[in-house]
Parts: sequence; C-alpha cells; structure tokens
Amino acid sequence: MRNRHALSRAAVYACLWFAALPALAADPLPKGLLALDGRAAPPLVLNDLDGERWDISAARGRWLFVHFWATWCGPCRKEMPTIQAIVPQFDATQLEIVLINTAETEDTVFAFLAEVAPDITPLMDSDGLVTEQWQPRGLPATFFVDPQGRLQYLALGGRPWDSPEYLEFVQRLVGQ
Amino acid sequence: MQRQPMICAFATLLAALYLPVSLAQPEPRPTPSGLRYEDDSLFIRIVQRSPEQLTAFYLGRQFNQAAIEHILDTCFVTPIIHNKTFDVLWLELDTWQFGRGDEQITRIKRDYWPEKWDRSELPQAQRSTFGWTLMPEKRDLRRDEGVGGSVVIPWQQQPFTLRMNFHTGADKQGPLKTIVFEDIQCVTDTP
Repeated sequence: MRNRHALSRAAVYACLWFAALPALAADPLPKGLLALDGRAAPPLVLNDLDGERWDISAARGRWLFVHFWATWCGPCRKEMPTIQAIVPQFDATQLEIVLINTAETEDTVFAFLAEVAPDITPLMDSDGLVTEQWQPRGLPATFFVDPQGRLQYLALGGRPWDSPEYLEFVQRLVGQ
Repeated sequence: MQRQPMICAFATLLAALYLPVSLAQPEPRPTPSGLRYEDDSLFIRIVQRSPEQLTAFYLGRQFNQAAIEHILDTCFVTPIIHNKTFDVLWLELDTWQFGRGDEQITRIKRDYWPEKWDRSELPQAQRSTFGWTLMPEKRDLRRDEGVGGSVVIPWQQQPFTLRMNFHTGADKQGPLKTIVFEDIQCVTDTP
C-alpha cells in the first residue's frame, strides 16, 4: 500500500517536471530583444580611442556585447550609464563589452564617455563604414555575438541593461 | 403565446441598451493632439526643428557651411514612433503622404543628398552621420521597438498635412493603421 502511494507521488512529480521543461528550456526573451539566425558576424577591425587595434576574429571564446552608438543620439546617451553599470558584473573572459562609436571625433567621444562610462574604451568607426557593414536597425543597437563568432541576438534600440530582466538575460547567456 | 412578444421586446430593449456604441456609429478615426498621437498600441510625436537648431546640430557634428546651406533649403519633419503592441508595424515612407488640400508634396529621398555632399565636399564621416539622422525608408518595427529620424520635404511656406499609413502583421495582412497630422509647419527662426 505504502509503495503504491510512493509510486503515485513519483508519477505526479514526474508529470509536473515534464510540464515545466518547455518553460525552463525556452525562457522568454526580455522586451525588445530579437533572436537572430546565427550567421557569422561581419568583419570588425578598428582602432580604439588609445590607438590600439581590435579585431573580432581574435575575440573567439567569449560572448561579445557589440554596441553601436553616437553622442548625438538621445537614446544612446540614456542607455550608456546602464552599460557602464554592468561592466563590473562580468569577467572579460565571459563577456567583452565592445562599444563602437559611429563617425565622431575622438574629442567628442572622450568628452562624453569620460563622464558617463569611464571604464570602457570605445572603438572608433571614424568614417562610419563598419557600422554600415553591420547594418544595425538604428542607433543605439546591440548585437550579442557568441563565442564561435555568430550573431545570436539583437537589442532593438536602447535597453536598461542594469535592470534585473536584462542583467539576468546576459548572465544566463554567459552561463553565470 | 402572448408572453413571447413581450419577451422578444424585453430582449430587444436589453440588447439595445448593452450593444457597444461602435455598432451604432462608425469607429472614430484616431486623432492626434497637435503633433502628438497615442493609443494603446502606438505612440507618435513629431518634432519640428528651426533652421537655427538644425544649424547648431549639424555644425556640432562638424558639417561645413556649404552642406548646412543645402540642409536649410529643405524642411525636416522628425517623427518619433514607438510600436507598443503590434507584433509587426510596418514603417514604409513611400506609403506616407504629404499634402495640402488636393496638392501633393513630393518627399525628398535619400538619393537627393550624395550630389549635394559632393558639391559641398562633405567628408564620409558626416555623410554617415547624416544618414543615421534620417528616418529609415522601410522597417518592420517589432513589438516595443521605437524609431526616430527626419523625413525631408521641400520648404513649405504654408501648413501641410502628413498622412502616415502603417501596415500591420508580418505579412502586412493585418489592419491598416492610419494617423493624420494636420497643420504641420516648416519652422522658421523666431526674430
């Protein structure tokens, strides 16, 4: 009799677990995030504000947060502090935050970022042609590139990256 | 037998009282308030910049004076759009209509500018920036996606109307959403 009760309980628990599996396997994306088709990321070779060269092909093995922006864009300015806020949350071996400034001068970029995001050294797309190759839907735009160099997600416009919903998404992505 | 007509009359009365108003009257066309429109599914605001504001903005982006003169020859209409709830809301500038009465105003498209930039010897960086300040020609706005940018028409001395048409649904088979803004003006600098 006791065995039959235990078996019934086990069956109920198993049913509940299987019912929950789809939800666990497919957490809904936060608002404004789009799943991409996993195609290879376009080339990206730019100098940063210090003149150091950065090449995306050398950045395999970690997730990349590839963010296109400009100082004149209101949503970009609003979003940047939230990107700065998540920098300490991630090890560079798990997630590298790559800011790409579109078509502005070093003085303009330095004056803005020094106040708002001092911990991030941006890449300078001085003539805007790399941005055009990546074809973001507008500015700002954030692509998530996986450790194999494939485009996996796109954030539509600015997002509050330091809010729980978005921070947890990124944490799940990098396996934290 | 006599009870039936009474029941029918009572039922008819009840139905008449509780029928939605929309069955009795045509649904009102969505109406902006000035240069702003909002409902549960969509937000639109139109920002009009004066020549002084445009000059300051583009000078700040290191545009040369010759390029700015070309910009000031035209009229910039700058909508900010937020798709709140449609799965897909189609932004297609070719479906928008600028006009005044029966007169149609032809939009100035992106291919107008390269020749102006060549004449002004505008560097590539500024040409890229200018492109990003324009409204995209076509975009499948997803739920909770916003977009903003300038739509350009020839300078207008008189107020004009802008009729924005948005197809909805991934296959554009959903209801057409049309918002009409009236009495928009090309802004001049205050003396």
